[in-house]
Amino acid sequence: MTSPSPSSRKSLSKIACNRLQKELVEWELNPPAGFKHKVTDNLQRWVIEVNGAPGTLYAGETYQLQVDFPEHYPMEAPQVIFIPPAPLHPHIYSNGHICLDILYDSWSPAMTVSSICISILSMLSSSPAKQRPADNDRYVKNCRNGRSPKETRWWFHDDKV
Amino acid sequence: MAEEEVVAEVEAVEAVYGDDCVVLEKYPPHLHIHMKPRTADVSSQQFVEATIGIRASSKYPGEPPSISIVDSKGLDEQRQKQLLSIVYDNAAELSSCFMLVALCEAAVEKLSSMNHPDGNCPLCLYPLVNEDDGLPFMKLMSCFHCFHCECIIRWWNWIRTRKEADDANASRSSTSQKDMEDQTGRSEMIDEDMGKCPVCRKLFLAKDIEHVLDLVGTHSDVNSAETVVLDEHNLLQSDSEKIRRQKFESILKVQQENSGLIEPKKHEVLLPGMFLPRPVESTSTSTDKETKEEGNNNQAVDSQGTQGGSSNRPSTSKHKKFNGRMHTQRGRNSGKHVRQWIRKEDGPTS
Repeated sequence: MTSPSPSSRKSLSKIACNRLQKELVEWELNPPAGFKHKVTDNLQRWVIEVNGAPGTLYAGETYQLQVDFPEHYPMEAPQVIFIPPAPLHPHIYSNGHICLDILYDSWSPAMTVSSICISILSMLSSSPAKQRPADNDRYVKNCRNGRSPKETRWWFHDDKV
Repeated sequence: MAEEEVVAEVEAVEAVYGDDCVVLEKYPPHLHIHMKPRTADVSSQQFVEATIGIRASSKYPGEPPSISIVDSKGLDEQRQKQLLSIVYDNAAELSSCFMLVALCEAAVEKLSSMNHPDGNCPLCLYPLVNEDDGLPFMKLMSCFHCFHCECIIRWWNWIRTRKEADDANASRSSTSQKDMEDQTGRSEMIDEDMGKCPVCRKLFLAKDIEHVLDLVGTHSDVNSAETVVLDEHNLLQSDSEKIRRQKFESILKVQQENSGLIEPKKHEVLLPGMFLPRPVESTSTSTDKETKEEGNNNQAVDSQGTQGGSSNRPSTSKHKKFNGRMHTQRGRNSGKHVRQWIRKEDGPTS
């Protein structure tokens, strides 16, 4: 219901495992404000609870992020989506896909789950209006067969929100 | 009166720091001073630097100046704070004295004591300097960000591979699609000889990183260095390597028996730049042996040349032609004769 299952994916490389374990330990010591990692025994898929920041349009609301890690994480970006219902936001599609450059072309292996979360919260917090992207329906229709947002050719034209 | 003294002090700072001191305002003083640790005459031994901003009001020296870090390299937030607080502590101690030079000295002193890499490798998140494993690390000269050599080379090879794949795709796809890529800046492709720091995206020269390749081994792939070791082991134990070694040993034996060089077979005439098609493997050690062997054969060719005169000419030209054909087949990578050739030969045998 949410996204292509990771079963079609290769399991994590040893390097990816080491790195994720390290990230998990760091997260537990020092979680990013407003986020809660839901503990599972699956290192390759993290589900993270997001709380809208106080004083923003999303204050008091709670959403869930799903983070799937590829075999060669962190060389490759993880796939990050909101589990529907996704927040109403000009860069978030109703199927949970997020238009955010660091998740795709601007990914760098020096980024972490924690830094991604902070970017997503800042994107939510700076939203001027609760609305869907203009091309929401067309895009979501194109993704119906469970396409990953990483396969989308994104256009990043707005750096304000 | 006081103003003159302050201006004289600013000139003193200028005299000490030369080009590293930028005076934005003589009075009230506003300076930017570029500071390096004292120990950093050798650039490879320098891990931190900072540009400190000092701004005083017209009440200076009665009121201490405000200090800021305008720019820095190799200093995380915590170390930047430490640097600032040392300078402020000094300012408090020297309250209502002329202190500009002393504050700069204090900052340089602190920088010198912090001139070592700190924290984790940004790629694997394990400590950069660890006495237990002693992994080598390296520094990008443009931004002073440090990484384990193994980690940054893995990343470097990864983006290189990706770029090659992208290039292949781009050449296949239509021009309109290419235009679109350019417009979106999607690939934002880095020049052949440039890279971007994974932490700050500052451009660096490929050669900064390539000298490290030797340390790690150019064959290391994204999985791990372990597999490379395994592969090497397999190669050394492979049939083709055994056959090659036997062949070499038998030639060596004959040479020893004849107490000198033996005449090579006619079809194995070698000239520099030519490579014989026979099953060999790609470990670097064996290529070394290969060249040695080749050298021997070349000498043999020379001696034969003086004996037989024109007899080997026809075969030489034949080989030249053959070699030329291989060039066109191999196309753009013709620079790497040996490796390319070996790979071709390895395919069917292994």
